Amino acid sequence: MKRNVLAAAAVAATAVLALTGCGGAAGPAEGGGGEDGKTPLTVSVWNYEGTPEFKALFDAYEEENPDIDIQHIDILADDYAEKVTTMLAGGDTTDVLTMKSPMEYARYASRGQLQDVSDVVGQLDTENTANLDAYEVDGKYFAAPYRQDFWLLYYNKDLFDAAGVEYPENLTWDEYAEAAKSLASGEGGNKVYGAYHHYWRSVVQAIASAQTGGDLIGGEYDFLADQYQTVVDLQKEGAALDWATAMSQQTGYRTMFETQQAAMVPMGTWYIAPLVAAQEAGEVDFNWGLAPMPQISDGEDITTFGSPTGFAVNKNAEHSEEAKAFLAWAAGDGGAAAIAEIGVVPALQTDTVTEAYFQLEGLPADDLSKEAFTPEETKLEMPISDVTSDIDAILAEEHELIMVGEKTIEQGIADMTKRVQGEVLN
Amino acid sequence: MTNVTEDLKTEASLAPALPLERQGSGRRRSRSRKEITSRRVNLLCYGLLAVLVAGLMVPFIWMVSSSLKLNNQVFTVPIQWIPEEFIWSNYTEIWSRIPMMGYIQNTLYLAVIITFLQVLTGSLAAYGFSKVRFPGRDALFLGYIATIAVPWQAYMVPQYIMMQNLGLTNTFWSLILLQAFGAFGVFLMRQYYMTIPDELCEAARIDGLSEYGIWARVILPLSKPALASLALLTFVNTWNDYMGPFIYLTSNRLWTVQLGLRSFVGQFDAEYAMIMTGSVISVIPILIIFLLGQRYFIQGIATSGMKG
Amino acid sequence: MTTQTLKRPKASRTGTSPRSQGNRKQARRTTLIGWTFILPNFLGFLAFTLIPVFAAFALAFMEWNSFSTPEWIGLRNFQEMFGSETFWIALMNTVGYTIGHVPLTLGLALLLAMLLNRKLKGIGFFRVAIFFPYITSLVAVAVVWNMLFNPTTGPINQLLEAIGIANPPGWTSSSDWAMPAVIITSVWRDMGYYMILFLAGLQAIPNELYEAAEVDGANAWQRFWNVTVPGLRPTTFFVLVMLTVSSFKVFDLIVVMTDGGPGRSTTVLSQLIYQEGITEGNFGYSSAISLVLFLIVLTVTVVQFKLQQRKER
Repeated sequence: MKRNVLAAAAVAATAVLALTGCGGAAGPAEGGGGEDGKTPLTVSVWNYEGTPEFKALFDAYEEENPDIDIQHIDILADDYAEKVTTMLAGGDTTDVLTMKSPMEYARYASRGQLQDVSDVVGQLDTENTANLDAYEVDGKYFAAPYRQDFWLLYYNKDLFDAAGVEYPENLTWDEYAEAAKSLASGEGGNKVYGAYHHYWRSVVQAIASAQTGGDLIGGEYDFLADQYQTVVDLQKEGAALDWATAMSQQTGYRTMFETQQAAMVPMGTWYIAPLVAAQEAGEVDFNWGLAPMPQISDGEDITTFGSPTGFAVNKNAEHSEEAKAFLAWAAGDGGAAAIAEIGVVPALQTDTVTEAYFQLEGLPADDLSKEAFTPEETKLEMPISDVTSDIDAILAEEHELIMVGEKTIEQGIADMTKRVQGEVLN
Repeated sequence: MTNVTEDLKTEASLAPALPLERQGSGRRRSRSRKEITSRRVNLLCYGLLAVLVAGLMVPFIWMVSSSLKLNNQVFTVPIQWIPEEFIWSNYTEIWSRIPMMGYIQNTLYLAVIITFLQVLTGSLAAYGFSKVRFPGRDALFLGYIATIAVPWQAYMVPQYIMMQNLGLTNTFWSLILLQAFGAFGVFLMRQYYMTIPDELCEAARIDGLSEYGIWARVILPLSKPALASLALLTFVNTWNDYMGPFIYLTSNRLWTVQLGLRSFVGQFDAEYAMIMTGSVISVIPILIIFLLGQRYFIQGIATSGMKG
Repeated sequence: MTTQTLKRPKASRTGTSPRSQGNRKQARRTTLIGWTFILPNFLGFLAFTLIPVFAAFALAFMEWNSFSTPEWIGLRNFQEMFGSETFWIALMNTVGYTIGHVPLTLGLALLLAMLLNRKLKGIGFFRVAIFFPYITSLVAVAVVWNMLFNPTTGPINQLLEAIGIANPPGWTSSSDWAMPAVIITSVWRDMGYYMILFLAGLQAIPNELYEAAEVDGANAWQRFWNVTVPGLRPTTFFVLVMLTVSSFKVFDLIVVMTDGGPGRSTTVLSQLIYQEGITEGNFGYSSAISLVLFLIVLTVTVVQFKLQQRKER
C-alpha cells in the first residue's frame, strides 16, 4: 500500500513537472520572434533594470527604426563575462554583444568570436570618439564604443567650507595630499577622512601610468613609486581610510562619499548619474562638485584615464546587417544624444554632447565641474593585448601587498617587475 | 504497514544480537541520581547554547540591520548596528522593484522537485548499494562518489554545451536534470542504511517480501531522520544556489530568488540594502522547512519505529 | 560490553538468503535487482554529470578556448602547470585549508550534535540557530567577520590585547594569518550543516544501547566511546569524505572574504580553475588543474574508504 502511495506521489510530481515544465512565474512571457513583421535584434546586456542607458538606447533606436524590435538578453552584472563565454561556447546566436570591459573584448576578439566591424568604425567621427584605440586589434576593429568613463575628483563642498580649505581647483598630488590632511577630522564613529581611495589597483596604477606615460604592460614599474608614496602616506596619517578596511568591509565609495565620511573621492564618471539620483531622492543633503584629477605638477594639461564600453557583433549573429546598423547608430550622434540625456557619458565627445549633458537636472553648474568634464587627455586604463589579463592579476596581487603594508613600495615594485618579466613576458 | 513491522518485531527479536526488548529493565534503579545529573547537564547545555547562539547570529543581525537602512548607510566604518532611521519601506519596495513573488515561486518549484527526486532516487540507489550484494558493487560506488571530487567549475562548460544541444538551456528541466541525480543523496542514504541491521531485511525476505517491498515498508520508515536531513540539505542548497540558475536560466521569467537579488548589483556599485532585505525574506522558507524537518531528529524514533 | 550487540554475524551481510547461495541464476537475479535500484539515479548521473566530467578530463590534454576546435597537445598543459608558481601556491593553500578545516568542523559538528540530541525545551530554536550561519548571506558573513578580524579596530584583536597579547595577528590583511581567518569563518559557517548529518546519524543508535551501557556501569565518556562512536561510524565516514571533498573544492567563501589575497596567500585551486577556464578561456589548462585536484581527492577518499572498510570488519 505504501508503495502505491509512493508511486502515486511520483506520478503526480512528474505530471506537475510536465504541465508546468517550462513556465516560469516571474513576469510576462517573452516572445520568440519579432512582433508583427519586425526584425528581432537580440542584444546581451547586464542588469537591464539598474542600467537605464540600455532602455534609453533601445527605445530611441526603435523609434527611429520602426522595423526593428530590440530584445534584450538580461544577464547579471556580476559574472557577465563568464555567462557570455559559456553561452558562446554553446553556439549562442545573440546578435549584439555588449562589451563590459576592454579586457573581455580582447579575449572575444582574439578567439574569433566577433565580426570585423572596421567599416562601421571607419564611418564614425573618429576624431571625437574617445578611447577608440582600445578596440584596435592589428588594424581592425571588432567593436564600436558608445559610452566612455573617465576619472575625475568628486568633492564635498560643505566639508571643504567647514575646514576652510579652498576648493580643489587644478591640484597637484602634493596639494591634494595637503588638502586631505587638513580635511581629516574626528575619531571613531565620527571620523571624517580627507580622501577615500577605493581598493581597486587602478586608483594608483592607472593614474600613474596615464600621467607619467609609463606602460602598465611593459614590465618596468618604477613609474608607480611616487603615486604609491602619496596614497600610502595618506593612509598612514589617517587622512584616508586604510586599504585593508576598505577592501575587507567592501566599503562602497558611495557610502564613504554620501555619508560625508570622505571629503574627496577620485572616481569614474559613471558615479555622476547615481549621485544625482541619490540627491533627488533626498539621500544626499550636502553640496558637492566635480574637479579635474590632480596632476603631477602645476600648469600641465589635465590628463586622466578611462575606458570605453561598446557593442560588438556576434560571429554567429542571426541578423548581422541589422546589428551593424545598430552599432553605427549607437556610437554616433543618435546614441550619444540618447544616453547623455540620462547622465551617462557618451564615447562621442562634441560640444553639443557636453552641452546636452549639463542640461541634466541636479548636476553642479559651476565652472570647475564643467572643466573637470573636459580633460585635455584621456588615456586608456590599460593597454589591451593578449598578456593584459595575466599582468593585471600580478599587478593586483602586488598592489594588495603594498597597500596592507606587507611590502615596502620599492619591494612591491621590484616584485611586479620580476614577476611580470619572469611569468608573462619571458 | 503495521502488520509487517509487527511480524518483523517478533522475528527480529529472535536474533540475539538485537536488544529490542531490553527497554526499561534497570531503568528505575538510578532514577533520582540520574535526574539530578541530567538537570545539571541541561543547565550547562543551556548556558553553552546561549553563548553559541549569540555568536552565530551576529552576521544575521547585521543582515537584518542593513535591510532597514538606506543603501548608502550600509557599509559605514565602523559598523552601525542600529540604523539611524529605520527604512521599513525596503520591505514593501522590494516586491515592486523586482518580481520577488514570481522568483519565490520559481525557486520553490525547483527546490521541491529537485528535493523530491533526489530523495527518491537517492534512497533507492542507496538500498542497492548497501543491502543488495552483487559483484562490482563497491567499485561502482567508489567511482560514483569519486566524481563528487570534481569541481563544478571544471565541467560546467561541457555540461552547458550538452544541454544546449538537447535544447534544454533556459528551461527548468536543465537544472532539474543536473541537480536531482547527485551522488550526495546516494552516499548519505547508503551510509545511514549501513546502520540498519541486515537482520531486519533478512527477516523480511523470509517473510516473502520482495526487495522493493523491503525498501518501501521496512527501510524507508526506519530512515526518517536521514530522509529528513537529506531533504533539508538538498532544499537549502537548491534554494541558495546561484551559479547553476545563473548559467542555465536566461529569461527573467525563470529566475530564482538568488538571481533576483543579484540583479541589484550593477557594473560599478550595488544596492546592498535591497540585497539584504531580499536575503532576510529568502531565509523564511528555509526556516519553515527546517522546523518541519527537525522534529524527526528526536532520539529514539528509530528504535520505536522498529518496535512498530 | 553491550557494544557487542552492534556487531552482526557476517553471513547475513549478503543480500541473497543463505539457502540459495552459490546458485548462479539467483546471483544474476540479485545483480539485476541491485541495478534496478541504482538505475534511476545512475542514469541521470551518468548523462548529466559523468559524461561532462569525462569530456572535461579529455580537455586536459588539449588546447581549447571554447570557440575553436580542440587541439591535442599531450602533456603540455601539465608541464605548464607544474612550472607555474601560482599553481603550487594554490595547491599548498588548498591543502592547508583542508588540514585546518576538516578536523575542526568534524569535531565541532559532532559536539554540537551531541549537545542538541536531547530533549530540551526550545531545542528546535537552538538547532535552527546553529544552522543559521549556513543560510546567512555570504556577503553578510564576509563583511561581519572581516570587521571582527580588523587588525586595529576589530573586537577579536582588542580582546587579544586585553588579555596581554602584545602583537595580535593581522588576520585578513596579513599573508600569514589570512588563511587561519578564512578557516575560522568557514568552520563557523559549516558546522551547522554537518551537525544536521550527525543528528540524523545519532537517531540510528538505539536508546537501549545507552541504557544497557549505563546498567553496566559505563560513565559518560565510556558510553560515548563504546556506543556513540561505533554507532556513528558510517555517518562519520560520510561527513569526513564530504568535508574533505568540499574543502578541496572551497570557492565561494574565499571569493567573497579575501578573493585570494592579500597577494596570493589565500588563492585556492578552484579559483584558478574558474579564472583560467571560464574567465580567461584556457579550458585545456583549467581542466588539467581539475584533473590533478581530482586525483588528489580521489587518493584521499580511497584511503579513507579502505580504512573505513577495515574498521567495519
